[in-house]
Amino acid sequence: MARLVAEDIAVRFGTFEALRGVDLTAESGSFVTLLGPSGCGKTTLLNVIAGFLQPSRGRLAVDGKDITALPPEARDSAMCFQSYALFPHLSVADNIAFGPRQKRVARDETVRRVDGLVRQLGLVDHAGKLPNALSGGQQQRVALARALAVAPGLVLFDEPLSNLDAKLRDQVRNEIRALQRDVGFTAIYVTHDQAEALALSDMVCLMNKGVIEQKGAPRDIYFRPRTRFVADFIGAANLHRGKLCGGAMSTPLGVLHCCHEDGEDVEICWRPEAARLGGDLSGTVKAVAFQGAHVDVFVSAGPETVRLQVPGELNVSIGDTLQFSVPPEGVIALEASANA
Amino acid sequence: MRKSPFNTILSGLLIAVMTVWLAVPFGMALLWSLVDPSQAWSYPDILPPKLSFERWSLMWDSTSLPIAMFNSYSLAPMAGVGAVLLAMPTAYAFGRLEFKGKAVWQTLVLVPLIMPGFVTAIFFASLLFSMGFFARYPAILVGHVVMLLPYAVRILSVSFSLVRQDVVNAARDLGASPISVFRVAYLPVLKPGIFAAFLIVFILSIEEFALAFVVGSPDFTTIPTILYSYLGYNFIRPNAAVVALILVVPNVILMLILERLLQSANPAGISGKG
Ligand SMILES: Nc1ncnc2c1ncn2[C@@H]1O[C@H](COP(=O)(O)OP(=O)(O)OP(=O)(O)O)[C@@H](O)[C@H]1O
Ligand SMILES: [Mg+2]
Repeated sequence: MARLVAEDIAVRFGTFEALRGVDLTAESGSFVTLLGPSGCGKTTLLNVIAGFLQPSRGRLAVDGKDITALPPEARDSAMCFQSYALFPHLSVADNIAFGPRQKRVARDETVRRVDGLVRQLGLVDHAGKLPNALSGGQQQRVALARALAVAPGLVLFDEPLSNLDAKLRDQVRNEIRALQRDVGFTAIYVTHDQAEALALSDMVCLMNKGVIEQKGAPRDIYFRPRTRFVADFIGAANLHRGKLCGGAMSTPLGVLHCCHEDGEDVEICWRPEAARLGGDLSGTVKAVAFQGAHVDVFVSAGPETVRLQVPGELNVSIGDTLQFSVPPEGVIALEASANA
Repeated sequence: MRKSPFNTILSGLLIAVMTVWLAVPFGMALLWSLVDPSQAWSYPDILPPKLSFERWSLMWDSTSLPIAMFNSYSLAPMAGVGAVLLAMPTAYAFGRLEFKGKAVWQTLVLVPLIMPGFVTAIFFASLLFSMGFFARYPAILVGHVVMLLPYAVRILSVSFSLVRQDVVNAARDLGASPISVFRVAYLPVLKPGIFAAFLIVFILSIEEFALAFVVGSPDFTTIPTILYSYLGYNFIRPNAAVVALILVVPNVILMLILERLLQSANPAGISGKG
């Protein structure tokens, strides 16, 4: 149980600013994901929260207590490392038991936790092995188990599922979420995978170049992206830029309507699934990808190509002209990004 | 697969070189050490006329060889431990910290190695003399530790740089005390380096002549100084052979151990990212 507040965290490596003023609040027992392109500072932020890195500016507090100057061993957090960082000469079971032993957890409680995690994460056959005798995905699960075994108030996950196959990833992801609900720890979860972020989180923080560009509930982030970067990074987005006059913007496809105040240079976007068949927008079908429940259709007019998602039973072929419309509530006006 | 003639020639050559280089001197030393005092081995005999362990027992009983061996074999492990312990902080700094002028310092630490042993020995002896320090055993011990420290620093720096910061972080993150962090994150990676540094210092201390001779003169003996006394004006080849073998055999064994240590794959050094 821990409520984490990070205020204005900045980190510089030499002249390079890896974090440039990050504000983040993770409510007690909530699941917060950090999402963003490689090199945007996700691991750096976790390192600051864990205490491995001193921020050059800013302040960290857990449950109202300032922990900025506390060393890692005195913080109530455990990290699941992107690089696993397993102890190579300790067996899987000893790796997992390391944290509880250091924290002087009773012996039978330690055994209980280790057994439980080994079973939940499918490591029963490997408990006696050394980490080097495991596959990448197995090592990753050991790293996960080792962090969870401490039962801390705050768990920091750095891409904990990146090395698992799709099926196992789904399973372990559900286990993490179930465990988090049971135990009630606060989770800060780094991932590259936007679907994972949307599915798991109470709050998604989208990071870009050392700042959090937007944070909010998954629905907010998806349906109300504030900047082009967010719209582009989460899901697919069709972007147009131009003059908005009387709530209408003319594009090569036709006129798009939008509930936003007029402006000379406005950027708008809409999701592929917002498109409806029939209407006054039109273009030539350039490519079709059948996805089962729906069809991805790429339609172009002039220099612009957009992506539509239409019902799977629709039969379109390349070269057809497609008529469609986008309802005004499906069109989102974007702000200029603060850090393009 | 058939061996190519080139390979055959090469391995033949290797065997020949090894024979000339190792087997012949060893064999000769062994033969000479077994020459019986009563019957000299001289031209044109190919082998000594009579073999016995007479020389060995003679050397053992009538010379200061036991004392020299005691000195050498007690100095060497202490010098090894001392050098390893003293090298640790410097090696830690070189292996794990970033600071201004690190490269310069790293070179400076190695400079003593190019200093001829006798130069160091003479000035060290006069320093001791002027300080009024006459206990020769501790003096030689200190001398060996200081002289051989660069080797230990060099080896341990590399070991320290192999320790992975994320493993150190993981240990701290899980609440480990500094001692536990050292045990779980440092020691497994450092262990081969510690052994290697200890053995190198051990071997070099056993073989060190200049300092032991200058500081220890006239009557403090180690194996190399006693060997020298048989190579000097009263050169007795069979006796010298006995001392040479006593000097060299343990070293060969230690070298073999060292070789194994350095070769053995170090599981702690391999990265975990799969
Ligand atoms: N020790 C360091 N010294 C210098 N620069 C660093 C250091 N650590 C990280 N950086 C830089 O800081 C930036 C952020 O790194 P970070 O590891 O936080 O990225 P990330 O978001 O975790 O990326 P990924 O998704 O690839 O893991 C990168 O540009 C990286 O090059
Ligand atoms: Mg990272």
